[in-house]
Amino acid sequence: MRPVADPEADALFALIRDRYGERLTEAQLADLREQVASIVARARPLRAVPLKNSDEPAQPFAPFRAEG
Amino acid sequence: MTGEVVFAPVRALAEAIRARRLSPVALAELFLDRLERLGPRYNAVVTVTRERALTAARRAEREIAGGRYRGPLHGIPYGAKDLLATAGGIPTTWGAAPFRAQRFEFDATVIRKLDEAGAVLTAKLAMVELAGGMGYRQPHASFTGPGINPWRPDAWSGGSSSGSGSAVAAGLVPFAIGSETWGSILSPAANCGIAGLRPTYGRVSRHGAMALSWTLDKLGPLGLTADDCGLVLAAIAGRDPADPTSARRPFHYDDRSLAGRRFRFGVLEGVTKGCEAAVIASFERSLETLRLMGTVEEVRLPDLPWELTARTILWAEAASAFEDLVEAGTIAELTAPEDRYTAYARDAILAKDYLKALRLRGVMARDVDRVLAGLDALVAPGRATAATPLDVEFRSAVGGMAPDPMGAIGNAAGLPAIAVPNGFTDAGLPTSLQFMGRAWDENTVLAAARTYQALTDWHRRHPPSG
Repeated sequence: MRPVADPEADALFALIRDRYGERLTEAQLADLREQVASIVARARPLRAVPLKNSDEPAQPFAPFRAEG
Repeated sequence: MTGEVVFAPVRALAEAIRARRLSPVALAELFLDRLERLGPRYNAVVTVTRERALTAARRAEREIAGGRYRGPLHGIPYGAKDLLATAGGIPTTWGAAPFRAQRFEFDATVIRKLDEAGAVLTAKLAMVELAGGMGYRQPHASFTGPGINPWRPDAWSGGSSSGSGSAVAAGLVPFAIGSETWGSILSPAANCGIAGLRPTYGRVSRHGAMALSWTLDKLGPLGLTADDCGLVLAAIAGRDPADPTSARRPFHYDDRSLAGRRFRFGVLEGVTKGCEAAVIASFERSLETLRLMGTVEEVRLPDLPWELTARTILWAEAASAFEDLVEAGTIAELTAPEDRYTAYARDAILAKDYLKALRLRGVMARDVDRVLAGLDALVAPGRATAATPLDVEFRSAVGGMAPDPMGAIGNAAGLPAIAVPNGFTDAGLPTSLQFMGRAWDENTVLAAARTYQALTDWHRRHPPSG
């Protein structure tokens, strides 16, 4: 299936192809192109959800200090 | 002895061991024999730990004879998913060909705690390579072969804790330890018709366990009954300085009588959408039983991208956890063809999207807690389908090909859930029911599952055993 043009997906796929392309077959690259397009497409609903400045990431960081 | 013990719950075995009617050494020998003889039938086993098992079993026997009884797991054999580090030269392969010879010089905290409880490690159990983190889409994704379902040899055991599911279901071990990032305990439990408990994130130390996704990974028990899962969780839960994400909240398994207890259950609107007919039929029959236990009401959650959030976190963290393998190209040595390159796509996940997902996670966790605050548990089918055929691509929620709102919500928010069997398809494959509770409410979901199992007998049915 011919992917619909998506400049963001194209740019990210180009990055991936540049980094790893020599390791990959044409079939793998074709599949990766679809996967990248899917990742980008699925990121958009995530980005569309409005959040406030006070909505922090749910990942508490605690400064470390060794015992003793 | 075989017929009496192979499918006996842990509590029954424990009573027999404590009363000295059952020898831990004889029990270990029995299950070691079954692991060696039958394990290959299901591709369930990576390494049988015979020497370590017999040493532990002999110690258990001596201690019990001398009046030192450690508790209900004393002398009980078990298997551990092969992402848990084990010392003593025992390989820890992560299910992946590049790590066949990997060895650690220490035991994972879960293994150490089970040793302290007197449990007997009999096997390292098969798993999907790298716990499924490289994007597998079909069961042939482990160097040990596809996990084979004890109910049908042409069906998948589920994964990524494939061997943990099939070994318990086939009576090769009384209980097993698995892990879940998204689905990997509930899937094999559902597929194999056993109980599988995914604890609250942080309930069980992850020290010594391969990391797939640091903020999604949970370790938990699989057993023949919900009660077995409670007994095991009691042994493995607890704060561990070696795992800073492990919680300071203690866990004491509440196994008191449930007589007279009434439950409030919620069903997410549309939760059976996309489920197979047999799964829906089993679920609707289960709801009738749940109405005997209390009330069932339909609930709604805010319209947020639950699955996208969980998936973004998982893929981004997995990409980082295995960065060295990806950059070095080592993933080309993995078993599943799609695992040899899919990870490269995750370079497309932007940091801002990962952080957005983490922020949404906090919003979602508060939203679902508000709903769960008025309930004992959300209930749903354990999985949308029964076990799929071995040679067919499955629709993966993690891959975005199938809906799994409960899995997305439960794992993104770090909530506990237990899957228990609730029926069969016409093809003879198990279906499953899950109870998902509020954070830290393992006792509530265990109580609900135990009550359900007191009213049903699906957990007493077992596949043909060699």
